[in-house]
Amino acid sequence: MFIVGMLSWWYSAGWIERAKLIKERIARTVDYFSINLLLKTLFSPFRQISAGKVNGSIGVKWRAFIDRTISRVIGALVRIVIIAIGCVTIFLHCLLGVVTLVVWAFIPLFPFVGFLLFISGWTPVSWT
Amino acid sequence: MDVVFQYHHDRASKARVGGVLGGIIGKLLNVSAIVLALSGVIFVIAGFSIGWLVLGLAALPAICMEWYRGELKKLPTSKKPQNISDVLAGDILAQLAEHPTPKSIALAVGRVFGGQFFGARFGMTASFLQDIASESPDDTVGIWRLALEIREQTRVNEITAGVLVAALVKSFPERDGVLAHLHLEMDDLMNGIRWQDHLEQLIATHTTPGRTGGIARDFSFGYIPLLGRFGQNISERGGLLTVDLEAHVDAVDQLIDTFGSGGRQNAVLVGPTGVGKTTIVHAFAKRLLDATQKLPESLRFRQVFILDAASLVAAAPGRGELENLIMQVLGEAYSAKNIILCLDNAQLFFEEGIGSVDLGNVLLPILEAGNLRVILTMDEQRYLQISQRNPALTNALNRIMIKPATRAETITVMQDQLIVTEFQKKVTYTYQALGEAYNLSERYVHDLAMPGRALKLLESAANYSQNGLVTMNSVQSAIEQTMDIKVGVATGEQEKDTLLNLESLIHERMINQTRAVQVVSDALRRARAGVRNQNRPIGTFLFLGPTGVGKTELAKAVADVYFGGEDRMIRLDMNEFVRNEDVVRLIADGADDPSSLTARAMKQPFSVVLLDEIEKAHPNVMTTLLQLLDEGILRDIKNREISFRDTIVIATSNAGADRIREYIDRGYKLQQFEQQFVDELITSNQFRPEFLNRFDEIVTFQPLGKSELLQVVDLILKGVNKTLATQKVSVTVSQDAKLFLVEKGYDPRLGARPMRRVVQRAVENTVATQMLQGRASAGSTIEISLEQVQQILGTESQAQAITADAAQDPIEASPENSQETPSN
Repeated sequence: MFIVGMLSWWYSAGWIERAKLIKERIARTVDYFSINLLLKTLFSPFRQISAGKVNGSIGVKWRAFIDRTISRVIGALVRIVIIAIGCVTIFLHCLLGVVTLVVWAFIPLFPFVGFLLFISGWTPVSWT
Repeated sequence: MDVVFQYHHDRASKARVGGVLGGIIGKLLNVSAIVLALSGVIFVIAGFSIGWLVLGLAALPAICMEWYRGELKKLPTSKKPQNISDVLAGDILAQLAEHPTPKSIALAVGRVFGGQFFGARFGMTASFLQDIASESPDDTVGIWRLALEIREQTRVNEITAGVLVAALVKSFPERDGVLAHLHLEMDDLMNGIRWQDHLEQLIATHTTPGRTGGIARDFSFGYIPLLGRFGQNISERGGLLTVDLEAHVDAVDQLIDTFGSGGRQNAVLVGPTGVGKTTIVHAFAKRLLDATQKLPESLRFRQVFILDAASLVAAAPGRGELENLIMQVLGEAYSAKNIILCLDNAQLFFEEGIGSVDLGNVLLPILEAGNLRVILTMDEQRYLQISQRNPALTNALNRIMIKPATRAETITVMQDQLIVTEFQKKVTYTYQALGEAYNLSERYVHDLAMPGRALKLLESAANYSQNGLVTMNSVQSAIEQTMDIKVGVATGEQEKDTLLNLESLIHERMINQTRAVQVVSDALRRARAGVRNQNRPIGTFLFLGPTGVGKTELAKAVADVYFGGEDRMIRLDMNEFVRNEDVVRLIADGADDPSSLTARAMKQPFSVVLLDEIEKAHPNVMTTLLQLLDEGILRDIKNREISFRDTIVIATSNAGADRIREYIDRGYKLQQFEQQFVDELITSNQFRPEFLNRFDEIVTFQPLGKSELLQVVDLILKGVNKTLATQKVSVTVSQDAKLFLVEKGYDPRLGARPMRRVVQRAVENTVATQMLQGRASAGSTIEISLEQVQQILGTESQAQAITADAAQDPIEASPENSQETPSN
């Protein structure tokens, strides 16, 4: 009963639960990098610097336009860098999640695999 | 559903395994998994292939513990429950024997957290449950049936320990008595089940990290150095406590609608202090930062800043500086594009007068334009004042009214607040303490609305805990100490003695009037035994009778003997309330008129209220008093409910005094004419029947006869001796001299009132003369004879002059000086 109960949970609810945990972890990573927010505001002025409307002569307005453009470019650069880092991190999380779910299926077999490796006498490092 | 417990059911077996793994064996398995894994790695690195085997074996304890964490620790209920074992909580299943009896179920309940929760909070310990539980296995099915019913009723997912506690209590034939002893009802147990379930849910959600927008959330928004200095970002302050009150959820939804739509981007939360306006703003801020909530995009991840009025004013002392600073702060908030400003206690920004700030004119154009998002909070009164002064300002605001929490909501708020309070104060609150905090704060705390007022009392009750447990008694002690009142049932021996001997204690300073003394004493005993109607004053009495018979004296005696001193009396001379306009003086705000009835009752809710010469009050004043007499409350001019439920209300009246004397002279006894006399008062329009009907008792005082006045003389002499005690001198008066004093001091119109003046003249003058002549020294007793008294009082005409003085002297003539006591 003990073994059956444990293994039946391992390959059903336990596996699903693990998948949910991985999904939640990926969702948190996505939230942490807020890539959708960054994409939506990709060309917004950085920290709203020089963002407001300016009244004045054409020269003043031109200068404000240049300032605003620089602010937008800086903002876009910073956001692109973060988007890139975020994408890589999310990808790595996904990869780790898939590996975890695959390994999960083989964990109950570890004692047998260990036994077979022990019988074979193989070790990655040989001191002799 | 099958209500037979199956010991070998799959869930029951798993629960028992979980029980084992949750103990020391689980800890050993954890350690062994780590040790085996590390050893295996070391062996493999060292080149020993046995390391593979060791490493592989480490997976076994690790799998066991993963199973425990994933399923066994909190065993889920079956998806299609068919048997009681499918819905029993895992911790209970693990404890149950193969053939459980109600008693063994009680034992199992006592061993798990949920059972201990009920033990600590409700006083329903394991031993208590075992005492009330049956030992017959035949009764077990009944327990399961009740448990299923209660589970359905409380809508909890499984049959927890709490559900079983309620089922065990419900199955007990004498449950009403047991519950009454614990000051509980079945509904309270249902609330307890929901409370425990709610706590478990809070813990579960608290351990799950929230999604709040991440590092890029504020990237496209502006810098806010000024707001950082003069405001407080409440969005950054997370916490465990979030109570989704029905009223608050509505208010938060309204805020979201207001700011999510295209209208004016402002809202004013209007409600009394303590109702939870600031809490609503916090809940709103929290909701905006929760990525899982459904919100308009324009609101997602917006941050709420509360402006600090004090630091703003302090930073801009010069004329016009504050307005400039405010404009800069508002400009910064607008430019940042993700800020919602909150002006908490917004009336601070709209004060009128010297040294105060009125930013109405600065804020009005901004609020009318509706671009900057602003939330204001203020109480109803201030909102009305501002509305009257600056209607354009209030018209520019979207008003959201916040109502005080209901009893059930307040209890829920308190339950959540306890998580913090118990941690801070290192105490545990019982459920009964929560209910008591609500009841007593509703009655005695006037300056806050619910739930604030109950929370305030609950916190102060922690200082009166016993062995770390805050009970109903702790809450009662807290209110008794802070308000100087008595709310609990009499427990002390001394107080019980006082209550049982009230009549004799009062009669130490009162002569005769046994019926009046009896009815007042009965009312006090009922109050302190906890059997009175809590929604009325302790007692309401109308004392009728001629002057000088002890009506006022009885009120003073009650204040002294029971309430702790004659200063425990709120006395109103109703001849000062003869005009219609005087109603306002009766219910004036304490800040404007500290002598008003409502103001004095707020300050001293545990006292005697004496309404002297009630017949002289204006009819509208009497009408105002009807609610006081009926429900024990009076609304003051600010519409606050002032409680008179811990007072004894005594109204006195001389109306019909001549008629009483007439009856007595004609040989009637009091009982024979009392009812007819009251009817006469109604027919002669001296009192309206609805006014008289409001009193618990109408007591007619009979005029004092000469034999009673003799006893009054003794009382007065007792008082004289008390005064002389400081001189170590005492005085005695011969019996014939006393009779002479009664003869000279008696006036059927004035009762005992002239007696004191006569005795004072005769006795105190003799003593003073003898002391000055050196005939009386310390330790001596002065004996006063009839001759001496006759010499002092002289002729009949002199005595009559004295009694006439007494009748005309406004101080002496006041009822409070009749039947004066030795204690004075």
